[in-house]
Amino acid sequence: MSPADRHQDEWADAVGAYLLEALPEDERAAFEAHLEGCTTCQEDVAMLRVASDALPASVQQLAPPPELKGRIMAVVRAEADLLAAASGPRADLPERARDRGWLGWLTARPGLAAAGVALLLLVGGVSGAVMSGGEDGRVVTASVAREVAENATAKLVIHKTDSKLEVTRMPPPQQGRVYQVWLKRAGVKEYEPTSALFVPRAGGDGSVSVPGSLKGVEQVLVTSEPAGGSSTPTRDPVITADTA
Amino acid sequence: MALLRKAPRDGGDALGALADEDLMQLVRGGDARAFEAVYERHSGVAFSLAYRMCGSRNAAEDIVQEAFLSIWRSGARYDRARGSVRTWVLGIVHHRAIDALRRSTVHDRRRASDEGIEERFESGERTDAEVARREEARTVRGAMETLPPEQSQVIELAYFGGFTHTEIAEMLQTPIGTIKGRMRLGLEKMRNQLRMAEVSPS
Repeated sequence: MSPADRHQDEWADAVGAYLLEALPEDERAAFEAHLEGCTTCQEDVAMLRVASDALPASVQQLAPPPELKGRIMAVVRAEADLLAAASGPRADLPERARDRGWLGWLTARPGLAAAGVALLLLVGGVSGAVMSGGEDGRVVTASVAREVAENATAKLVIHKTDSKLEVTRMPPPQQGRVYQVWLKRAGVKEYEPTSALFVPRAGGDGSVSVPGSLKGVEQVLVTSEPAGGSSTPTRDPVITADTA
Repeated sequence: MALLRKAPRDGGDALGALADEDLMQLVRGGDARAFEAVYERHSGVAFSLAYRMCGSRNAAEDIVQEAFLSIWRSGARYDRARGSVRTWVLGIVHHRAIDALRRSTVHDRRRASDEGIEERFESGERTDAEVARREEARTVRGAMETLPPEQSQVIELAYFGGFTHTEIAEMLQTPIGTIKGRMRLGLEKMRNQLRMAEVSPS
């Protein structure tokens, strides 16, 4: 059997199944790996894609319910506002960061960190309350979970209104995740979510504003959460700062 | 491919005049209005595909929502060298629907509208774009009808039913190699039909 015949046997018929998404998971992965380096299969895929791409046009066309658009756009507008608040003019971003799409640069990407973009995000949570008392500028050393980073440090600089959490040598969260700041209030069991989400700069340094007053707050905590943040923590804290 | 050519959109605003590819450039920068324009253009065919695959309005809505939010959040992954925005969007929808079908424990995944929503949601033939879509649908259906039944059957089961070639082989008690061969032959024939339709529109 010639190599070409063997190729025919092994892969040629997989092209159709691949385009129809009918390959079982392991076979699909194997085929995609093969496809990377096989121009014959690449050409086949490009040629037959014309047919598989046309299939959706054959179905009866229905109008999606308007509420669906409302739900999707509510999320999109909220995230666009968050982005605008966080980034200022997009034009200021390095080309590489822009190329990743906005969520790409909100979340941890090694390449992005290398681009030197500080991903510090402060949104919402504007507390108009004028605070009484409190030692302005007091610094509290926070503990960092050893399994996250042996050398990382974190400290909380407490101000009357907006306090600041500063980290050094903090590794980025896993891909697709961000660090989120939480508040533990006296007498309240649950952590209170904040809108402070952040990803450290390359090198692990960074700071994030903790909006509002820390009055009545016992601890400021940080967990790794899916991009966009969570309403209740999904992971154990990686940073814990006791305010007392 | 001429069949998938964009038809001019209704609406006089500036975004409406932009090509999909240019809108995606804006979406990439976090522009919600550009995203809305992309949604307006492609949500109909996306919802129709999802509904055809799942046979349930709720499931179709979930899939469209997941797919469009992922498009919003990862617009950077769109690569114009690899095809139209519409094809890209539909690829994401199809993939999500396949995932949903394979996750579901319901044994019989075969189609069937469980809610009889067709009439209620049937889109009216209002815009030029919709007229063009109808024309395109006729062409594609025509191409599918030229296939031998055993080829269109495996394409239907795989693409719309979400079955793997292994499952189809079991279902039809036919060797996997034969099933894969029919898929490929069917797509080849369809492609040739579409090419001919493109050259000489009926």
